[in-house]
Amino acid sequence: MSATSIDQWFAEQGWKPLPFQKKTWKAYAAGKSGFVNAPTGSGKTYALWGGIIQEALAKPPKKGVQALWITPLKALAVEIQQSTHRMSQHFDPKWKVDLRTGDTPSAARAKQRKRPNFGLVTTPESLHLLLGSKEHKAYFSNLQCIVIDEWHELMGSKRGVQIELALAYLKSFLPQLKVWGISATIGNLDLAQEILLGADAEQAVRVVSLRKKTIKVKSLVPKNMERFPWRGHLGLHLLNEVVKVVERSRSTLVFTNTRAQCEIWFQRLLEAHPDWAGQMAMHHGSMNKETRLWVEEALQNDRLKLVVCTSSLDLGVDFSPVESCIQIGSPKGVGRFLQRAGRSGHQPGKASMIYFLPTHAMELIEALALQTAIEQQIIEDRIPYLNSYDVLIQFLMTLAVGDGFSPKALFPILQNTFCFQTLDPDTWQWCLNFIRQGSQSLENYDEYKKVTVDENDCYRVANRSIAMRHRMNIGTIVSDADLLVKYRKGGFIGTIEEWFVSKLIPGDVFTFGGKNLKLIKIQNNQVLVKKSKAKKAKIPAWMGGRMSFSAHLSELLRNTFYQLETSNSLESKALAPVLTQQKKQSLLPRAEELLIETFPSREGYHAVFYPFEGYAIHMAMASIVSYRLSLLAPTSFSLAYNDYGFELVSDRPIDLEGLLDNNLLSATDVLEDLKTGINVSEIARRKFRDIAVIGGLVFQGTPSQPIKSKHLQSSSQLFYEVFKDYEPENLLYQQALAETFDHGMEQGRLMQAFERMNTQEIRWVKTHQPTPFSFPLITDRLRAKMSSESVEDRIRKMYLQLEKDLSDGSTH
Amino acid sequence: MEVPINQHRMLLLPEGAIYWINTQTLLIADAHLGKVTHFRKNGFAVPPQIQFSFYKKMDSLLATHSIHRIFFLGDLFHSARNAEWDRFVKWNQQCSIPAYLVKGNHDILSQDLLAESGLEVVDEWREEGLLLSHHPKEQTGFFNLCGHLHPGVRMQGKGRQRLKIPCFFHRPKQMILPAFGDFTGLFILQPKANDQVYALGEKSVLPISLRKK
Repeated sequence: MSATSIDQWFAEQGWKPLPFQKKTWKAYAAGKSGFVNAPTGSGKTYALWGGIIQEALAKPPKKGVQALWITPLKALAVEIQQSTHRMSQHFDPKWKVDLRTGDTPSAARAKQRKRPNFGLVTTPESLHLLLGSKEHKAYFSNLQCIVIDEWHELMGSKRGVQIELALAYLKSFLPQLKVWGISATIGNLDLAQEILLGADAEQAVRVVSLRKKTIKVKSLVPKNMERFPWRGHLGLHLLNEVVKVVERSRSTLVFTNTRAQCEIWFQRLLEAHPDWAGQMAMHHGSMNKETRLWVEEALQNDRLKLVVCTSSLDLGVDFSPVESCIQIGSPKGVGRFLQRAGRSGHQPGKASMIYFLPTHAMELIEALALQTAIEQQIIEDRIPYLNSYDVLIQFLMTLAVGDGFSPKALFPILQNTFCFQTLDPDTWQWCLNFIRQGSQSLENYDEYKKVTVDENDCYRVANRSIAMRHRMNIGTIVSDADLLVKYRKGGFIGTIEEWFVSKLIPGDVFTFGGKNLKLIKIQNNQVLVKKSKAKKAKIPAWMGGRMSFSAHLSELLRNTFYQLETSNSLESKALAPVLTQQKKQSLLPRAEELLIETFPSREGYHAVFYPFEGYAIHMAMASIVSYRLSLLAPTSFSLAYNDYGFELVSDRPIDLEGLLDNNLLSATDVLEDLKTGINVSEIARRKFRDIAVIGGLVFQGTPSQPIKSKHLQSSSQLFYEVFKDYEPENLLYQQALAETFDHGMEQGRLMQAFERMNTQEIRWVKTHQPTPFSFPLITDRLRAKMSSESVEDRIRKMYLQLEKDLSDGSTH
Repeated sequence: MEVPINQHRMLLLPEGAIYWINTQTLLIADAHLGKVTHFRKNGFAVPPQIQFSFYKKMDSLLATHSIHRIFFLGDLFHSARNAEWDRFVKWNQQCSIPAYLVKGNHDILSQDLLAESGLEVVDEWREEGLLLSHHPKEQTGFFNLCGHLHPGVRMQGKGRQRLKIPCFFHRPKQMILPAFGDFTGLFILQPKANDQVYALGEKSVLPISLRKK
């Protein structure tokens, strides 16, 4: 029994099309591209797929893929493939929808390639792999539409750049292709649409789903305000409050910021409520796929009361039994917080309920700001990447391993993307030289091999192992190298990020997969462990990424702060003892004041500045101010920053008189000093890591397929150093410097921040010990450095710590 | 900086080499010549200029010290033969100072090639109570000079200062040399109470003080 129209099919399901769905079908039928602004779970899939089906009903599809659906997550891809396939089958059994992700077996992929079906649901990485295959133009020749789902998730990442490139490229040989984006609400929605639809944006249609979900936010604040910790990232002091929420909700998701935090919370909740065993589960990216799928299914089927998770459950299928969400510690962004809140309250008529659990006192201010932001619908922007040469070089290689490309034809296509709109012929030539010669000058002694150019100026990869290596490396998500965790006596437990393990030494106990494990040794990319009965485990601090505060949000945070004393909220009451202590030791700055605190400690001399401009601006400010100070006299600084302020630490008193007398907070030359500052401080080193992998400079293989030839092993760090010394003009190195500040903040905002600081009265307070405000900063382990001393002078002041005696644990 | 080893006077040089004063001998470990080209042949765009840093350093060392003999303590050449080998052979023949290669795990070039180069190839070398080798070794009655590890240390100081730097790692019966090559990386070592560490500064070598945890 086949349905003959979308309306009929909806009626058969007992549904009534929503206005935004009808509007989408109409626009689609008119051959338009468009942009759907709708949250997850609003029926957006049928809005688009309905249009695609209608088109096929009107005009019988030719052979080949008609519709491509791109989604950021594998888990989402499965869900969408199932629902679009099911729907299509009602109309014509021949209309099948395939799924193609990194998990798809190669036999299935080969079959899809040979006999393409009606629809294909895939990820940005798999799409690029298709573009890197031979005769892909024929494969796509009947493509009518490409849908980019969850564009807000992709846009601020380099996967967004991959999408831009793929779209511009597809449109170059499919001029009639319809492009549709789906995005949740973000601060810069118009820009999001413009980037995705490019030149078509003007004629494109914007469809808005009006269904708004009510979101309720509540802070979990302890009864005993005196004991609220000044620092910390675990939040376990509020365990009982979490238990209470879980007890009164049908099902609860507890969101944590790291896998380690996730493990600890799971254990402690289980200890607090042993009777919940069997009704509670954990979900994070290191766990194996089967377990994760089981958890998702059990959650869906109402069999779980509680799941402790990480961002691994941010997106994806809706779990209707979930009544409450709890966010442990700062969500680092309103958008992410809303996304997580939206995972609850899917029963009709219910609101989404999210509890915010501040892990230390200063996060209470963030809790207040978050609530205001949600009330006023202020959501941060997703800042798109510009000039991501690493992604461009990867894309060039992708085309070169497929059918090859002609630079002349490709150049204008690239200029059509938002990311490479300012690409000039010189830079373009640089990129071509880079993949062809591996440098900018062709020397006759050189044996560089990667891409060859034939007599028709077509760039291709001839070498099979280079092609294979590239295919394995396509993608822009650079996670830390994962290591296999194994019992010493055999038995695989899971994979774990290298940085986590690098913080451990043999003998340390850590929690993984709900078990306490003792590290024996690390060998050949494997972490060998044994079970441990120890109660206490090591917990590395949060290293995750954070979203950038828009100008609005920084202002909001600032205002929240300046109004703390007059506010009547639960949070400000909880903060009162902390504020009193702060006033006793230092002061609470008013809007027209800039507070600077200096104090000595065992570690050295500290200077903490509080401009309240948000993380990214503070990072830039710290770099500029420390750079200017380092010009007064040879000095070395260690820098830390958060949303409230930044800290400089040195081994000698920080010359604040010099800073003020020489007007070193001036707005003049800010951008020049920023550039030099980044170079000296080597903050870009961390950025370069991803760039080196994406740009194909380092290749590490995967845990199951480690790089075969040991003679080809290197690290991004090594490349960073040699570029710095030998080839500082290298675009990938320059990109790391630019990304450090350009991505995530506009230079204009930095100027404004300096100008604002110059209108403020400086309140310099010399204290004897750290103040409550300074605490989260001075305990931050994630730091940058700035030095104008010679290496020799620095070495003279340093020392080495002796190795711990590991022979046994007894004292001598 | 000069360090006595038994009756020998050893000058630790900031380039990462040792000048053995008594015998006017230069000791070099882990030059990894050919690595740049090996990477480039496989499609990794390492800056090609790095391959000349070896010769720049050597020229300056030969100009400053009166060198009568050179010992390469292994991993002189990183991979199979490529153009960099020919350049080295040419240089070696021109410089006409007797040179010895104590073989390392990376030195996989054929005997014939090595023989043509003018290098004298040995597995290890004993001389006046000193044992020269590539891998760190222990042998009664000998002090071992070796490479292989690319030693580095992570130092810390007041004001949360941290620095990762290549070093000479001096154990009671052993001195591990830093890697001489410029595209080689570091392996971080943890000193014990009887060890002494000399860090490579820009223009000098400096001893580092040790502290108990």
